[in-house]
Amino acid sequence: MKQIEGNEAILDNPMVDIATYLFLEDIADKQGAAGMNNYLMSLAYSLARSMPEEEYTSWESFVDAVVKGESILSAFEKVNAVSQYCMVTVESPFLRGWKEYTKRIGEFPRIHKEVAEYYNSRITPTAIETGDIIIQTYRKAAAEKITVEGKKVRVAHIATVSPDGSKKIAPEEWLPILLEKAQISKTQLNMILRNNAAVWIVYPSQ
Amino acid sequence: MLDIALVSLIQDMSEKAGVEGTIQYWLRVGENLAKRMGKEAYMGWPSFNVALREGRTAFSIEGNVVALTDLAITDVDGDVVGYIYALEKCVFEPTILRVRYSVGQLPKADKQIADEYNMTYRDIAVCNFCIIHVKFREEVAKNITIAGQPLEALHLADRGFTGDTKIDEENLNKIGINKEYVRSLLRNYACVFALVMKGARLKGEVSEE
Repeated sequence: MKQIEGNEAILDNPMVDIATYLFLEDIADKQGAAGMNNYLMSLAYSLARSMPEEEYTSWESFVDAVVKGESILSAFEKVNAVSQYCMVTVESPFLRGWKEYTKRIGEFPRIHKEVAEYYNSRITPTAIETGDIIIQTYRKAAAEKITVEGKKVRVAHIATVSPDGSKKIAPEEWLPILLEKAQISKTQLNMILRNNAAVWIVYPSQ
Repeated sequence: MLDIALVSLIQDMSEKAGVEGTIQYWLRVGENLAKRMGKEAYMGWPSFNVALREGRTAFSIEGNVVALTDLAITDVDGDVVGYIYALEKCVFEPTILRVRYSVGQLPKADKQIADEYNMTYRDIAVCNFCIIHVKFREEVAKNITIAGQPLEALHLADRGFTGDTKIDEENLNKIGINKEYVRSLLRNYACVFALVMKGARLKGEVSEE
């Protein structure tokens, strides 16, 4: 959430948010879950492409920029660092749109979850609904534009919590590796998930 | 983030489906949005205007819509058949600012889509989102009845982020409002429109006959 006009945050208009959801549903009607998934990923890639490149001289300064909202990785979400590599998104960047849709239109159609299942089966199994596909693809694509100490940054997702409280955690067989990289235990992960919207890791490429 | 994703999608869409294809998508989104909001019925204009002020009508999704109750629209018999309404802030303005401060520039497609719409449909769009917005308003009006009569929305004027304005003179003539007066309303408001009872014998329409 940007804070530019004085100290007031510039909040998106509910009509624009809901129109976006309906637009995506329209695409899904015509092209199915696969087509919608392609559109979501494609728009996240274009968004990342339009962002400037970044370079940092140390990992600490990079994490600091992410937490302060100065990096392209935190341009659309409030991020906290739990450890050197483990990041948490405090509130889903789609929460406002989600609330407005449920308030003014009603329950989300099933397609938003179906497309996430499609994404989970083919890309990374940590999405619950359409918004997660956008943000997860964006994070990965944006990370490729960041260099820390001469190395590219990589992103991997551990878990997501939907505004309705449903959770999606990476498969059991992946979890030990991801948690080791994140430097947190499984219990700590569950603790973090109580009051955050996503847990993900950033790490330098080898 | 959803609004910024939409802006990103605009460029993508216009490259894949073409500018005309995107306009068709936008028109459908405006129509679907109105359909999904459901129907409303009011006893009379005062109850509708109160509901509007309290943010209870489908129009309230746009933001703060003000009923300019001093600007009642009358039919040939002098009966009140509608009012002029004004939207304080363009629905797309926060998105424009958020894009400006997180991504940079709006994609070229924004202007291309608006220009194409202005040339081929009606010359009223100041940005691509006007296409969804105007269609939404027209469709919502059909779903609202006042004293059993459905409404009709007449778009009158709008002001873009950079100060450019568009005025629909044909609709102004229908309700008999002076162009310069509407222009002066745009100093305080982003968008001005009229809601009238469908089928009302407006002075401008009758004089044309």
